[in-house]
Amino acid sequence: MIALPSLQRMCWLLASFGVGLLFVLLWYVIAQAKLVSPVFLPGPGRTFDALYYGLVEGDLATNTLATVERMVYGWLLASIAGIAIGAMIGVSQTARAYVEPTLEFLRPLPASAMMPVAIALLGLSDAMVLAVIAFGALWPMLLATVHGFAAVEPRLYQVSRALGLSHAEVVRKIALPSAMPDILSGMRVGLTIALILAVVGEMLASRPGLGQAILLAARAFQSADLYAGVILLGIIGYVSNLALSLTEQRLLRWRV
Amino acid sequence: MIMASRQETVPVREADSAAPLIAFENVDLSLGGRPILAGIDVSIRKGEFLSVVGPSGCGKTSLLNLAAGLLMPSKGRVAYAGKPVTGPRQDIAIVFQDYGKALLPWRTASGNIALALEAISYPKEKRGARIAELLALIGLSQHADKFPSQLSGGMQQRLQIARCLAQDPKVLLMDEPFGALDAMTRQALQDEVLAIAARTGATVLFITHDLEEAIYLGDRVIAMRPNPGRFDISFDIALPRPRDQLTTRECPEFLKLRRELFDVIKEVEH
Amino acid sequence: MSGDTQRFDWRGLVIPVGCVVAAEGAARVTGWQSDMLAPPSSIAVAFWTAALDGTLVKATAATLATSLAGLAIGAVLGLLVGILLGLVRSLDRLMEFSIEAFRPVPAVALIPIALLVFGFGFRMEIAIVAFAAFWPILILTRAAVAGVEPRLIQVGRALGFGAAARVWKIVLPAALPRIFVAFRLAAGIALIVAVTVEIAANPLGLGYNMILAQQTMRPELMLALLVWLGFVGWSLNRLLLWSQKSLFGPAALIRIER
Repeated sequence: MIALPSLQRMCWLLASFGVGLLFVLLWYVIAQAKLVSPVFLPGPGRTFDALYYGLVEGDLATNTLATVERMVYGWLLASIAGIAIGAMIGVSQTARAYVEPTLEFLRPLPASAMMPVAIALLGLSDAMVLAVIAFGALWPMLLATVHGFAAVEPRLYQVSRALGLSHAEVVRKIALPSAMPDILSGMRVGLTIALILAVVGEMLASRPGLGQAILLAARAFQSADLYAGVILLGIIGYVSNLALSLTEQRLLRWRV
Repeated sequence: MIMASRQETVPVREADSAAPLIAFENVDLSLGGRPILAGIDVSIRKGEFLSVVGPSGCGKTSLLNLAAGLLMPSKGRVAYAGKPVTGPRQDIAIVFQDYGKALLPWRTASGNIALALEAISYPKEKRGARIAELLALIGLSQHADKFPSQLSGGMQQRLQIARCLAQDPKVLLMDEPFGALDAMTRQALQDEVLAIAARTGATVLFITHDLEEAIYLGDRVIAMRPNPGRFDISFDIALPRPRDQLTTRECPEFLKLRRELFDVIKEVEH
Repeated sequence: MSGDTQRFDWRGLVIPVGCVVAAEGAARVTGWQSDMLAPPSSIAVAFWTAALDGTLVKATAATLATSLAGLAIGAVLGLLVGILLGLVRSLDRLMEFSIEAFRPVPAVALIPIALLVFGFGFRMEIAIVAFAAFWPILILTRAAVAGVEPRLIQVGRALGFGAAARVWKIVLPAALPRIFVAFRLAAGIALIVAVTVEIAANPLGLGYNMILAQQTMRPELMLALLVWLGFVGWSLNRLLLWSQKSLFGPAALIRIER
């Protein structure tokens, strides 16, 4: 159950929402006065119209779904692989000695940089985009999982030896729950990356989705459609992050 | 909480004077090239409460790890019930000083006790009752569904003790278990340990650097000297049981032992 | 763990060296030709050619310049707003909704907007990098400033310092290590975003050259640039880590809490 915020907190939230509305008002004023060309900055009215009609009558809904699907599938693939491989590497000090330097070197490499390679191998296809998303989301998850398993409190290993727990029991009852905070935070980062790569992939490979939609809107100077798409992407980012955060809070109730 | 009753003249706690339960036979221990323990030769009788004192770094924890089977001696042998110790046993329970690190933070109090029951394959249907029993024993029944982070230090340590008791141990190895607690909690837990040892007849190896605690609790106290760790001197404690925080500590025998032990330790620290 | 952490652990090299040797071996043995991938020897050759004829230098300079410019802009703005919000709690609370609304927008989603406003070129990329670098610096600076040990501020008050003096002498120096960590993080993000923008849309820099190499069927150049990019990112991170150590000492090496 989610605890309701206190009255004071609610007041502040409302006030900050009010400030947000002030920004929208500012936006309206700037657009009305044409301080910035409507080609670059459509007014809030036009933008929300484009958003509404795009969703109800136009392609925005299908495009949104396509992007979300890509993001989620790639992320799920990466999660499973990342956690499984990360667990195997994390529990073994020898494995870590062999693998960690390579991981450290690959870490700063942008996942998007793999896109040309992926295109070379898989062409401009949905498979290519999915592969890049999975690859990109894999790294933070892998690294976080390895760290989580490597950082299990050594005292707990002593306790499990004293209790005579089997190897499988140690992984299941001690290592995995202990690594959970790191794994979940890795998953959150992975999801952010998955969204980014989905958008880039769609732009580059011209695959159906919000990424392609906003690029086409820009080329056609349809700024209202463009901004509507960007807002939708922001919403996707917000909702997915929120969902994961809530799950994380629920699973990690035991934290101080 | 179980408090020791009024002091009566009761002879020294009966211990089985047959073959020792735990025996260190001329044990040496080196770790990473450094000698930690040398020539350790001591036996612990079944049902005996042995206190071990010594300055920091004299290898007291290593001694306990050897008895637990977590470490193997470099020379000599450690025997349990006559047979050499090859690894940890489920009927030897270890109470660590850093209780916060020894409890599973993601399991409730009940869950932590359950871990030990799962380890010894205690029948599933009876687990709930056993957990309730143990929680009542250490006075944490109200907190069964709380996580360790929601419990105070003293409560966490009690929980660890309860988990150890869930193993139905014949031996309790306690490594400075009350070192991180305040004085009042420490005294309360000292009496609880005594009560538990009396009730279950468990053999206890109790490591501490608190001289008075060592004398208060034990049937025998052994002082160690460092570099490398070896036993210096052993005192039998002829204080009546059950012990009482006030009267026992004022007893002339207690004060005499305290004086002697203090002198030994002071000499050792030079 | 044994105590010899000073000795270099050769095991770490096994995988990379092994992969390179295997790839080279496989290519030679099978005499395999491809438009899509290339063996390590060709990659090395392509790398030297690009280094010598100036393409590598130009591309690297372009990418680094835009990353740096975008980082600078985003960092300055992020620092100012972050410090302000960290100091004035009420302002922070008022801005909460707006920040949470803008934060989740992926920087790459702004590429079409930037294209619309600036067209292709440096300015568009710098704008997006600035946006991407702004957020982590804002959030972490805010946290660093708000998280200064309250006891220190009490000391400042007790000593009779005015508000401005307290901020300058106590709050900012105390927050500085964590702010630097935020900066390090943002620098990495800046490089990644710059390359991403180049790959997706902008015809300049390392990213663009990689896509160009792929499109013109020169896989050895593409992979050479990839390896080079990895090296650049890694050395940038190492450089920042080293400056962090020397500026703040090992005591200030804080793990970034996620």
